[in-house]
Amino acid sequence: MMRNNSKAARVAIYIGLVLWMLVNLFPVYWMFTFSLKSNPEIFGENVIGLPKEWLWSNYTSALKTGNMARYFLNSAIVAVATILITLGVALMATFALTRLIWKRRKTLNKFFMLGLTIPIHASIVPVYVTLSRLHMLNTYWALIIPYSAFSLSMAILVCTGFMNEIPRDLDESACIDGCSVWGVFFRIICPMMKPAVATVGIYTFLQCWNELMFANIFISKSALRTLPVGVQALSGQYTTEWGPIGAALVLATFPTLFIYIFLSKKIQESFIAGAIKG
Amino acid sequence: MHRMYSKKVYILIFLLPALILFCGVLIAPIGASAYYSLFNWNGLGAKVFIGFKNYKELFTSNAIGFMKALRNSLLLAALSVFLQLPLALGLALTLGKRVKGERIFLSVYFMPVLISTVVIGQLWLKIYNPDYGILNVFLRSVGLEKWTRIWLGTKKTALGAVFVPTLWQYVGYHMLLLYAGVKSVPPELREAAMLDGATDGQVNRYIVLPYIKPIIRISVIFAVTGSLKSFDLIYVLTNGGPLHSTEVPSTLMINMLFLRNRYGMGSAIAVLLIVLCFGFALLISAIFREEK
Amino acid sequence: MKKIVSLALALCMVFALFTFANKPAAAAEETVLKLWCIATESDANRPAYLQAIADYEAAHPGVKIEMEAFENESYKTKIKAAMMGGDTEDLPDIFFSWSGGFLGEFVNAGRVVCLDEYFKAYADKLPESMLSTTTYEGKHYGVPTTFNIVAMYANMDLLAEVGYDHVPQTYEDLTACCDALLAKGIIPFGCAGKETWCVTEYLEPIIIKTIGYEALDKIFAGEATWNDPDIATAVTTFQEMINKGYFDPAGAALGNDETKANFLAGKTAFYQNGSWNTGEVAKADFKSAVGLFPVMNAERSTYYQTIGGPSDVLAACSASKNADLAAQVAVELGKEICHYNFLNAVGCPAWAVDYDTSSLTPLMVEIGQVVNSCEGLVLFGDTAMAADPAQTYLSYVALVYGCEIDGDGFVAGLTNDLG
Repeated sequence: MMRNNSKAARVAIYIGLVLWMLVNLFPVYWMFTFSLKSNPEIFGENVIGLPKEWLWSNYTSALKTGNMARYFLNSAIVAVATILITLGVALMATFALTRLIWKRRKTLNKFFMLGLTIPIHASIVPVYVTLSRLHMLNTYWALIIPYSAFSLSMAILVCTGFMNEIPRDLDESACIDGCSVWGVFFRIICPMMKPAVATVGIYTFLQCWNELMFANIFISKSALRTLPVGVQALSGQYTTEWGPIGAALVLATFPTLFIYIFLSKKIQESFIAGAIKG
Repeated sequence: MHRMYSKKVYILIFLLPALILFCGVLIAPIGASAYYSLFNWNGLGAKVFIGFKNYKELFTSNAIGFMKALRNSLLLAALSVFLQLPLALGLALTLGKRVKGERIFLSVYFMPVLISTVVIGQLWLKIYNPDYGILNVFLRSVGLEKWTRIWLGTKKTALGAVFVPTLWQYVGYHMLLLYAGVKSVPPELREAAMLDGATDGQVNRYIVLPYIKPIIRISVIFAVTGSLKSFDLIYVLTNGGPLHSTEVPSTLMINMLFLRNRYGMGSAIAVLLIVLCFGFALLISAIFREEK
Repeated sequence: MKKIVSLALALCMVFALFTFANKPAAAAEETVLKLWCIATESDANRPAYLQAIADYEAAHPGVKIEMEAFENESYKTKIKAAMMGGDTEDLPDIFFSWSGGFLGEFVNAGRVVCLDEYFKAYADKLPESMLSTTTYEGKHYGVPTTFNIVAMYANMDLLAEVGYDHVPQTYEDLTACCDALLAKGIIPFGCAGKETWCVTEYLEPIIIKTIGYEALDKIFAGEATWNDPDIATAVTTFQEMINKGYFDPAGAALGNDETKANFLAGKTAFYQNGSWNTGEVAKADFKSAVGLFPVMNAERSTYYQTIGGPSDVLAACSASKNADLAAQVAVELGKEICHYNFLNAVGCPAWAVDYDTSSLTPLMVEIGQVVNSCEGLVLFGDTAMAADPAQTYLSYVALVYGCEIDGDGFVAGLTNDLG
């Protein structure tokens, strides 16, 4: 494949790639060392070096006073529920938009795509009032529902690509075998949408894992807080001890990174599949 | 099957959850915002109907600085399309040719997307710190003392300093999208071109790029709407300062809604932002269709 | 394997959704009051809040106070959204607020309980002057939890290097001291340009020392115009100090935490900010002292006039199901939080001191003496004003710090926009 390139060009490309890799790895390194430093080291004495004294106690205080384990569980619950709901709803809608036969389906598809362009911050207060009337504030639903809604457009976009790839003959033969619409949907379509699940899952996860505005305003009970709000609540008005905040940031980020590295092949494959078809 | 698939009941049932969710959480609030944008209202007391005065003030008042915020975000969108995407595309094309360690590069490049904006923001604050920030320390150590700046504190450099991390964070995102496209090019097409004596550049130019055009279109739409909506990182880095030089519509909107208690005005900005994003999405789609 | 994991996750989720979502908060006979505040884990006020709540609950069985603390900036968004949303059960019973304009908007909308009745029992313990910033149309709405002035902290070790054993008391003395510091390569002041309120901590004391507290108070209250040539003079003084290099130029891009860290690390000689920093400054490795910004115009002002007041308060929400109890608790909690805050050196007492104070650090005692000598106080400008004018004011202050406008421009702009 590379026969046209001279060796020098190849080396240059490699150097470029490695340099860019270092640029992208730096935040991870910085965050980790930051979490083990004391305030003076963070503020100036030693910003990029390894910590002089490895303050593991930052982690104990983040876990103990910061209650990070609890926030992590909350974030996980919200993310998993959001992904499940988004998937279910998007699969059903996509089925109607690609398989069922009716006049305005193209228009409605465009209508759903409108969601890709709406900034999440624009709807805070109206959504707050609605959730309040439905007595849903201070429950996980207060986050799951808005997050699902904001992930829906992307999910439909991805699912449409995948579902169009499934040959219609399958529906046809299932019908002849006496399947109902439900039967076709659950027994034929859904099992074939597995690759879409991963892609939608990642997009949705990215959307909701780090979200701050909604999470802060819609949840008041500290027992239900998510990670970003929990991390933020570690810093105060008058004093701020930064080491434990760094530890909290690591606790909030590294699990995601590990899961990502662990699953990176799978994630990339499904991303590829999603991109082509979306 | 045709008859079964045309039944109105099924269409309704399958669409209902999505419609409820979508209209309830996304569309209805836009309606509400559009309605409130016609009032002078602080969010708590009585509303005073003032028609389109909020919009008029947005476009004419220098004190609010909406036009400047708009210019900033359009500039960011342009940079995103003409700098960030080409970089992402370059990486995608290079990695798409089966470079050794492809997977590792791919994984690492995507990492910044996974790291929360709060963390990225804190990191760049440290990089830009005038005293001990890596950037100034580096400049000093290589003898470029006079190039050191108070990056986030001076009007001239703040906007650029805010844009760099904003653009950097999502290079990986676009790269993965485009890489996915590059990988989907059928190998036969590539090989045939190579047999005809095409160089790498020619293969990219005449085979790969036309093939992944739909993905480039999506990437451009995401880049532009994402830039117009950008909020988090700017909020962490400068919150619109110094002297409003890094203000974008979203920071202005939050400012109006929650700091200045001008709920009507904040809603007007929200409405304009949505119109703008949607308008650009349509425009970009149209441009790509025409080129076909 | 994958199936098991996803099943476990799903089960865990369903379990959590139903256990935590709508669980009744307490047993039937217990009254639960929700308290929202900004005393987060790392906030210096937190110990005082926890102690005061524990004391109250111990003395009043049957009342339980559920405290929820939020980060400072996001709290502003949160409490406003809650007040706009307005459904009773999603509002706290007692909430933290800033006095002046911030609380005023809620009072005007009828969301806050009037506390006149509840203060009666405490008349001898709470001077009327401590309530002025939460009095609207003659009625009281806020319970002060602390009282703070803008103080000029000094690193006496650095000052000793240039031959000073005291905080400069006159402007000439101050400039001489700053020049001497600069000659030795020491930066006199650090001011966080990223947070404009920090700039007001420098500008407002200069203004009050130029035009006097009565005039400034009227301007902040909107009763007098900004059009006072002496304000322009004060701004000029501030900008002269900036141009002479008295302020760390890097400060323009820094937040308060970083500027404070610079002072505590001995990088700047002075740090002018709220007296809530006293506890932290006292813990620094150098000898510290405290003073006020010197008088600029002796005809209109005196040394012991300064910016400050009870800026942090508790208030009771009128939509609360237990509004009466919430008001009582707010008053009692405010008093005790104030007490513990003083002992923890994170604020001066707004309430009469009727407890042992022998454990106070010398620096806190010094601050206490300054406060006792105070001859005139004006609340922080951005707290005193309503939200919209306050933001306009802050943007002009930012322009001053950036030297984008001069004194005349400041006065003309504010007179034009705010009257």
